[in-house]
Amino acid sequence: MSGPNGMLYGGDEIGALVFDPGHHSLRVGYAQEDTPKADIPAVVGTVSATHIPDAEEKVPDGNVTQTGSKTGGELRHYIDITELHVPRAGMEVHTYMKDGQVDNWDLFEKMLDYCYAKVIRSPSEHHPALFTEAVWTTRPAREKLAELLFEKYQAPAFFLVKSAVLAAFANGKSTALVVDAGASQTSAVPVIDGYALVNAAVRSPVGGDHLAAQAKHMLNNMHIQMLPLYSIQSKEVIRERERGRYTLKTLPAGLTVSWQQYMLKRQYEDFCHCVAQVSESQYEERAAASAPFSHYEFPGGYHQDFGPERFKLTECLFEPTLGAPHLAALLEASSSVGAPVLAGLSPRGPSLRLAARPPWGSVVACGGVASAPGWLERLAKELAARAPSSHRLKSHAAPNSTERRFAAWIGGSILASIGSFQQMWISSQEYDEGGKGQLERKCP
Amino acid sequence: MADILDILELEQPSAEISRDSIIHGDKVKKKYVTAKAVKRPEGMHREVFALLYHDNKDLPPLLPTDTGKAYKQTKAKLGMRKVRKWVWAPFTNPARKDNAVFHHWKRASDEAKEYPFAQFNKQVAIPSYSESEYNQYLKSEDWSQAETDHLIDLCQRFDLRFIVIHDRWDRAAFRDRSVEDLKERYYGICTTLSKVKTNPWSNTVTMVNGEKRIYHYDAEHERKRKEQLRRLFDRTQDQIDEEQMLLAELKKIDARKRERERKTQDLQKLISRADSGNLPPLSQVNNNNEGTSTPSNTASSIARRHDRKLHKKKITTQQRPVRAVESVTVEWSGIKFPEARGTGVWLRSQRMKLPAGVGQRKTKALEQELRLLNIDIAPTPTEAICKHFNELRSDLALALDLKNALDSCEFELQALRHQYEALNPGKTLTIPPLISNMVGDNETKPVGEIIDVVGSPSALNSTI
Repeated sequence: MSGPNGMLYGGDEIGALVFDPGHHSLRVGYAQEDTPKADIPAVVGTVSATHIPDAEEKVPDGNVTQTGSKTGGELRHYIDITELHVPRAGMEVHTYMKDGQVDNWDLFEKMLDYCYAKVIRSPSEHHPALFTEAVWTTRPAREKLAELLFEKYQAPAFFLVKSAVLAAFANGKSTALVVDAGASQTSAVPVIDGYALVNAAVRSPVGGDHLAAQAKHMLNNMHIQMLPLYSIQSKEVIRERERGRYTLKTLPAGLTVSWQQYMLKRQYEDFCHCVAQVSESQYEERAAASAPFSHYEFPGGYHQDFGPERFKLTECLFEPTLGAPHLAALLEASSSVGAPVLAGLSPRGPSLRLAARPPWGSVVACGGVASAPGWLERLAKELAARAPSSHRLKSHAAPNSTERRFAAWIGGSILASIGSFQQMWISSQEYDEGGKGQLERKCP
Repeated sequence: MADILDILELEQPSAEISRDSIIHGDKVKKKYVTAKAVKRPEGMHREVFALLYHDNKDLPPLLPTDTGKAYKQTKAKLGMRKVRKWVWAPFTNPARKDNAVFHHWKRASDEAKEYPFAQFNKQVAIPSYSESEYNQYLKSEDWSQAETDHLIDLCQRFDLRFIVIHDRWDRAAFRDRSVEDLKERYYGICTTLSKVKTNPWSNTVTMVNGEKRIYHYDAEHERKRKEQLRRLFDRTQDQIDEEQMLLAELKKIDARKRERERKTQDLQKLISRADSGNLPPLSQVNNNNEGTSTPSNTASSIARRHDRKLHKKKITTQQRPVRAVESVTVEWSGIKFPEARGTGVWLRSQRMKLPAGVGQRKTKALEQELRLLNIDIAPTPTEAICKHFNELRSDLALALDLKNALDSCEFELQALRHQYEALNPGKTLTIPPLISNMVGDNETKPVGEIIDVVGSPSALNSTI
């Protein structure tokens, strides 16, 4: 805090927690640390308690991190990979997120229970909690969250910050145009002096999920079968492009469709992570063919090199019409990544663009999709091509993919451990006096 | 010492921690027992004696050895002081109004003082007003009180960040306003209140000479400025390209204009030289050909004619200065040789040296001409020869200039003739004999005729 020479340093840690709920995962950890303690998939598996017939189910793997918690003897909840990825009969997978905000509060409560009990392992009343939120989060959702934290978890203090602001902070900027390429959507939010301009924010539904769907579509077209990983007992080493030889596991009967789809989606995501690459400029068959190939082995043992497909796959992020016609029909023509950013450049008439420090001088990229190789370069190029030449664009992103993925969380970690921030918290006293109505005033 | 302390049952002082004791603490001090000092015999060298007798009586090593810690880094030992404890202590932040207690790590030894980060809690001073004050001073046709209150509230919340205020403006309740509108209203309120109230700011405000400085906001100017900027931003690529093209064209035109002016000036210089060389000296000095003094000689009439032409073509607005022609006209023709010399002795041949202003090419041409005339390039510099030689060269230089001008005019004329014939096939342009075919006898022609041809714009564009 204060150094030996009387200098006052910026940090003062008060044991705060930072929660960054997203569509793909929830990040949670202590403020002042550089990475979240846990990155938990944003889904909860539920099994109705009456549906547990055999003893084997009751003690799954004898795993210490068993999180099955009973609520009223009706439902059993499974959270986090070690629990969730076990094939269980009748386990439905639900997400609690919808449109960038928490939708199913019961499931989200289970998630918070899990975070405090298994990740933080410390009572919630000891830790002020800082939550990130999407720019378009509605007022009822914000107030509900505050209510939950203060009344159920007895948090000493609570604060909500827009994730775009935090991502800008994580990149060392207070004024920026934040492009968040997340799982469910891609958004562009201008941030000025640490305040997000909510009315100027734009978003498109093209994100990581879309990319995974695209990968599935592509593999189907190539007649490559993505077998679920959990169903493989063993596989043999085979030559490239040979038909896979594997034996299947005996799985419990009654696996739900939602769980199977969730598991397969994770595999497609993995495929995207390993194979997908964004080409520097618009997709060109010849240029893509000359790029190095990437090898991928599927769960069934089948393996092959992927060449131009690597680039073709990601093209949907920038041009939704190229990849899948049937998906493109769902998407508006303007929903490629470049469009919202450009729209963000000229929102609401001239007022923003003529701000003292225009935010497009620093375009900050974050989110899981932004860590795809070549994504940032492509974005910069697309923007430069479309923006008028008088706009001087400069894009920033953290150099490593972890920092890009967790940009909002890291920004929260920084913010919550700054000494002068400690006056901003909504304390439980304030909540008791002012109620949740003051949330709108205190957390801009 | 220790014995006495033991006997007196006094507490032994713990070994004092010093830098030395820490660095060399573990090293047991060896004491060499020197049996007896062997005296160095008389006459033996010190070095030789040292080889034979030294402290521990070992034989001197045959190989050089490196014992000791001469070059080894002594291991740094940190933490020479006792560890100071940290405690997880509660604190209150005076910047908070609710006295909420948070915990942070602090040194147990540190005395409790005010939370240091509270000093960063700076507030922007926003004026406040009562309802009666509003009704009395701040009423506006355009703004309702609710809207004004909303504005002041947002100003307070966002510390006068008008872009953010504009973004968060309650568009459901009030109509959309531009940033300039908001600023105009806010600063208008500030100005009004500062006039009628002594200190309208709720918070303490930095006063300058007992008076709060009011920021005067010129909304109209700002609107214009932003409109201008918006137009600048909204240019399409085509427009930008066009603008670039036009700018390039303008530059070209400018360059051409400058070139033309330069050439005109050259010409005029030439004319005045020719005038002064060929015509009887003027008794009167004409500074301005359009001035009141009536020109009474050909030189001015030529100049006038020439000027008229120039003006008609709008080539230049610059007035052609008519040279002051003096009775001694030699200086004006060709090369001007400097007369005055520095003090001291000098060679007369120095007088024949061409001045520095004469270029290499001209010098060469002059030499060539001299050779043609069978004149020595460096004649014996008698007084008379010097004078005449210089005059000759000066005239030659002028003649060369005129010849060049004539050549180019001739060329231009021919070119125009060809052009004319090409455009009007079957016709031939008869060039009046006065201006054609006069190569070699330019001395006999009136200078004005030549110059006029030169003065035509097409000729100006070609090199003279």
